[in-house]
Amino acid sequence: MAGGGFDAPEVAQGKGSKHKKTAKGAGVRIDMTPMVDVIMLLLTFFMLTTTLSAPQLMKVSLPKGDVKDKVKVDMGNVLYVRVSDKGNVYFAQGRSDGSESEMKKVEVKNISTELEKIYAANNNLLLLLKFDRKMKYNVMSDVFDEISRAKIERRYAFLKMEDTDLQKIVAAGG
Amino acid sequence: MKKVRVIRKPDIKIDMTPMVDVIMLLLTFFMLTATFKAAESEAVEVALPQSIYSDPDNKMKETDVMTLSLTKDGDIFVDVDNYKIREKIFGDQFALGLYHPDTLSQSTVVQTGKVGEKEVKRKVVVMNKAQFEKALVDLKNSLRSMTGNKQAAFQVVVKGDKDVNYGVFEDLMSSLHESDNKIFSLVTMIKSESKKE
Repeated sequence: MAGGGFDAPEVAQGKGSKHKKTAKGAGVRIDMTPMVDVIMLLLTFFMLTTTLSAPQLMKVSLPKGDVKDKVKVDMGNVLYVRVSDKGNVYFAQGRSDGSESEMKKVEVKNISTELEKIYAANNNLLLLLKFDRKMKYNVMSDVFDEISRAKIERRYAFLKMEDTDLQKIVAAGG
Repeated sequence: MKKVRVIRKPDIKIDMTPMVDVIMLLLTFFMLTATFKAAESEAVEVALPQSIYSDPDNKMKETDVMTLSLTKDGDIFVDVDNYKIREKIFGDQFALGLYHPDTLSQSTVVQTGKVGEKEVKRKVVVMNKAQFEKALVDLKNSLRSMTGNKQAAFQVVVKGDKDVNYGVFEDLMSSLHESDNKIFSLVTMIKSESKKE
């Protein structure tokens, strides 16, 4: 408290020696403490409100072309990301002959590091995202978050989960 | 104690306490009104998921925002921040568009008028898939005709409840694609990195 005060130049009134001894002199003394308290409150208030009113935005860009326009992609350059209704994530790399590699289960929190590893080998990959319709939106946002966090050139497409995909997921453990 | 001192010494002492009291009252007032306003504009409240990634270039615009809220029960609400456009498209300054993509179930909002525990206080216009897609196109067109800017477009933000089924979002994406809204943003809350194990 003592340090927060502001001492105006003392007005000489012939009592100088007396006032030097006591801290509270004859000067104009404004106690800043209440003002500081209010400023602290205001600061807290504004800090809280700004945090609340600044939600994160994750940008999603759908392909420009019409759905009917087939985009030709080398099947060797695709990575299937399938997510089951339970929220289990499976990676499978496509091969040029149309087949694909064995499905590999990946923990959600490891997606970005796994993607970086795969992209280190092939930088032209296209992610084909196949999410189960019964899956929770939360899982989708987590997966998308991980993909955004990976330091890769993001190219992705949302595809419908077909029956064959579902069978593959069931075979891999659901 | 202070009074005694003032009487005893001829100091010029400004008592800040009444001013502080007033400022406190003002602060309380503003805090309350701010909360009140937020409750009015947030017609539909959803529990947003959390994300770590943040794109510094992608910020919510102040105006011309189209909000698509996905509730836990699979309802999609469409709202814009321009009351004139709302009146033109939905017929009421405060109306909201509602689209329930699941044809097998009924919209809970239509049945109970509530989202979760909260009542939807604004008028709701129920639409089917075709009407919803038309509304999305009409909203954009009316913004363009109103502003006279042929390039004007809403910033489309999707507020999905973390517990909604992905299927609802898939249907919304197909509708957005159909209505030529190919770029949109998912709204999430910030999750600190340290929480992640």
